[in-house]
Amino acid sequence: MKNCDQFRELIEAYALGALDPEDRAALEAHLAAGCPDCAKAVEEARWLVCQLAYTAPEATPSDMLKGRLMQTVRAEAQSERKPRMLPTKNAIPSWLWVGVAALLVFSVYSAWTTRRLQNEIREANERAATLGIEHGRVLEQLADAKREAMIMMDPTSRKIALWGEHAHPETLEAKWHSQLGVCIVGDKVPMPSANHVLQVWFIPKKEGAKPMPSAMVRPDANGKLMLYVSAPPESMDDTKAIAITEEPAGGSGWPTMPILWSGKVT
Amino acid sequence: MFLAAFTSSGPREVPLDATLLSRLMQKDVSAFEQLYDRHSRLVYGLVLRILQQASTSEEVVQDVFLQLWRNADQYDSSRGPFVPWLCTMARNRALDHLRLKSERQRRREDQPEELPSVVVAPDYEKALDEKRRAERVRALMASLTPQQKKAIELAYFEGLSHSEIAATLKEPLGTVKSWIRNGLLRLKEGLQATT
Ligand SMILES: [Zn+2]
Repeated sequence: MKNCDQFRELIEAYALGALDPEDRAALEAHLAAGCPDCAKAVEEARWLVCQLAYTAPEATPSDMLKGRLMQTVRAEAQSERKPRMLPTKNAIPSWLWVGVAALLVFSVYSAWTTRRLQNEIREANERAATLGIEHGRVLEQLADAKREAMIMMDPTSRKIALWGEHAHPETLEAKWHSQLGVCIVGDKVPMPSANHVLQVWFIPKKEGAKPMPSAMVRPDANGKLMLYVSAPPESMDDTKAIAITEEPAGGSGWPTMPILWSGKVT
Repeated sequence: MFLAAFTSSGPREVPLDATLLSRLMQKDVSAFEQLYDRHSRLVYGLVLRILQQASTSEEVVQDVFLQLWRNADQYDSSRGPFVPWLCTMARNRALDHLRLKSERQRRREDQPEELPSVVVAPDYEKALDEKRRAERVRALMASLTPQQKKAIELAYFEGLSHSEIAATLKEPLGTVKSWIRNGLLRLKEGLQATT
């Protein structure tokens, strides 16, 4: 029977995964018997071993890898997150489900938004026809398109004007629905520089809180912009303002460029 | 007044990994993207060092980040730092890839894998930024004897055990054990002394 001191000699190699089976079994039995000192030493050694990762030279994976990942992640986010964010049917007035496209006529950006939503719905239907198995997901995409429309149309959505700074005099409009999320639409939006995106920031009310990074978008070729944030970082009442800056593609964790548009939430 | 919200928080800070992870649990795509942009070079470098082959390494890195995306809730950010945990997952996956060659084992790889348990930072852990930490660890590794360094690298990057390393280096088992232990203890002392 070995004592703790002898086990201590095995702990670094154990964390490294270098123990031969016999030593490993002995140490694991000792740990399983509940030795808090050795358990703590193992934790420390595991952390130490993790530091060895830094001795590998950093390398940049291909953009293709990131592209594949982001594609997968976006698709999964649509099929996984949204249903949870979706309020129960009863919470949505039924009139909103009916004739969404027709109601959009009243929207400032109606023509474009309507066309876009119609296209999305048509594409979703086509996909549903070819891919029977994906039906559920397609229906969720449809629900997404409808949800954007509902945010724009629901009279309870709070309208927030995002005023442009000197270089960008056009005003964007955000609509914040307490349950469905935030939609931001804009027209004649200047194109960000190459490899840059427009990134949305939510500024919490809390004193000293940092701007929370959110969705990124590039306007289309005609300068139309529509962006949907299903889960803003804070509730409407806890958010002071929404702002938009131009950031390098991929977005930033902290605004690195001047604010282009901003508006007070309350 | 509103602009003050941007400027009053002192130096430009990026959100902590923990903040991004909590957003990841709500399936926040931009949080995922930020974590990827922040850590993919380290993770890919590690996996590439283990597998020595770009396309397989990218597959593994893809697996690792997808696991992170799908199972972020298994990571408890209150218990330990994120990067060591992520690197553990990446190393485990890469070493599995290295070891598992048979068809049967390959199939097993497709199944979702247990994520590593949280890596708890020791009391002596210093809050170094990633760049300084990497520099520090590299400098400390370079200060080990060539034998200590070689033995640790064979274990860490090639997944070899004590006796496999002894056979590879044609050195006595006891010697290899002490190279590894003394090397790691020296690394630990160096990190403890780092301010
Ligand atoms: Zn013990």
